[in-house]
Amino acid sequence: MMTLNNIILITGKTVLLALFAPLVSGIIKKIKNNLRMRKGPGILQPYYDIQKLFLKDEVVSKNTSWIFHAAPAIVFASCLCASFLIFMAQPGPFIKNDLAVLIAAFFVLGLGRFFLALAGLDAGSSFGGMGSSREMFISSFAEPAVFIAVFALCMGAGNSFGISRLLGGLALLMAAIAETSRIPVDNQETHLELTMVHEAMVLEYSGRSLALIELAAYIKQMLFFTVLSWYFFIPAPAGFAIICLAVALIEISVAKMRLFRVVDFLSFAFFIALLASIAAGAGF
Amino acid sequence: MILNFILSGFLIITFLLVITKRITGLIRAFRAQSIFLFLYTFYQGFTQRNLELLVICGLVFALKALVIPFVLLRIVRRIKAEEDLGLIINPQLSLVIATVFAYLSYLFAHNAMPRANSPESAAFIASLTAVCIGFFLMASRMKALGQVIGLLVMENGIFLAAGAIAGGMPFFIEIALFFDIFVFVVIIEVFVYKVSRLFTHIDTSKMKSLKG
Repeated sequence: MMTLNNIILITGKTVLLALFAPLVSGIIKKIKNNLRMRKGPGILQPYYDIQKLFLKDEVVSKNTSWIFHAAPAIVFASCLCASFLIFMAQPGPFIKNDLAVLIAAFFVLGLGRFFLALAGLDAGSSFGGMGSSREMFISSFAEPAVFIAVFALCMGAGNSFGISRLLGGLALLMAAIAETSRIPVDNQETHLELTMVHEAMVLEYSGRSLALIELAAYIKQMLFFTVLSWYFFIPAPAGFAIICLAVALIEISVAKMRLFRVVDFLSFAFFIALLASIAAGAGF
Repeated sequence: MILNFILSGFLIITFLLVITKRITGLIRAFRAQSIFLFLYTFYQGFTQRNLELLVICGLVFALKALVIPFVLLRIVRRIKAEEDLGLIINPQLSLVIATVFAYLSYLFAHNAMPRANSPESAAFIASLTAVCIGFFLMASRMKALGQVIGLLVMENGIFLAAGAIAGGMPFFIEIALFFDIFVFVVIIEVFVYKVSRLFTHIDTSKMKSLKG
């Protein structure tokens, strides 16, 4: 039941998550740069960027409607709301009711994505529309994989660590790579029009709105990493460190895929997740 | 714990075999699967302190992870085979079918194995899935090399099944099997080479008409 203590605990966890979310991105960037024998920006760079953006003025196109102005707030709020929901599900020995909470959390993230895609179309620039269409294309394949992977996690509630956890974790990792726009699917580091998906959508934004959207993206990434760490029964800080290392290694060792090969990548994730839930049902 | 990692890896690679679209990718995936098989045998041999199993795991590594992929990659280079596999079922639908195989394997193992949740049961399921998928690869890939890989995957599955149910076959049978596989691959290499020289392709679906 939701007691006052519980509410305070969940709020505290969400605030902590939001505070440390940019740091995780900075650490991944640092690991990647060091592995490539570069120095790279410090791990606090995302904080400086967000601070800089908050202090800057906004430039808004005259052709935009209210959606363009509302979208950053909605995206940010949806990420915070999803993190509240995710922390309502207790890690460890899951009870089956948590499935509902987790699915609600990922649906709320979908609301944010919907408004971001609309905002990308709103200004009428060709890049924004292209980014939106690609984002919806990718997420329509990534979302089923996420849901089935979470389903496997909750179905194997009482089971000990086994095949279903490993397979489900892999499926969620692949889906998380797509959702957080990392390398085999998208590239965070470039604004080159051929490769960009997420960056193309938010190309029109500047100043405070861009800061909110970036912060929301960091929080969303943390949410995926949090759920991912539950699969392997690793407590949060160590889990984040391992996941950061894994993601950085994947990013530097894999080339970006063609857009239509992403379908193969994500349908593989979906079927691995399905295999995980079959294994969970059989008790592994 | 370690066994879980090995068996999950084996299953994931088995699914990768289904989704690859290229012959070289298929051969590399087979090599990765053989490495997981080697790890499984090594783990069993190491925990049971069984010298025969350790020798066999060395043979698995040498033959299936080194020699056979090398021979197959060499024939791909020699006949300059086009990369595509002659899929008659596309990768996504193949994945659906592979998942159905995996589910049936779970169902079967649930009824057949004495203890449902044991690691042996998990290994049995992985092996059964590999056998089914190997046969499926043979049936649905129309290039000769794809069919060879299908047969080798089935062999991997049966090897794993023997390890899971009986703790490995008798030593001499294993050795004989390895020679069998080795000779098979060498013959296939020559055979595929001749076929590609004669027909200028290795697509088995186009070999129904006679050619002198």
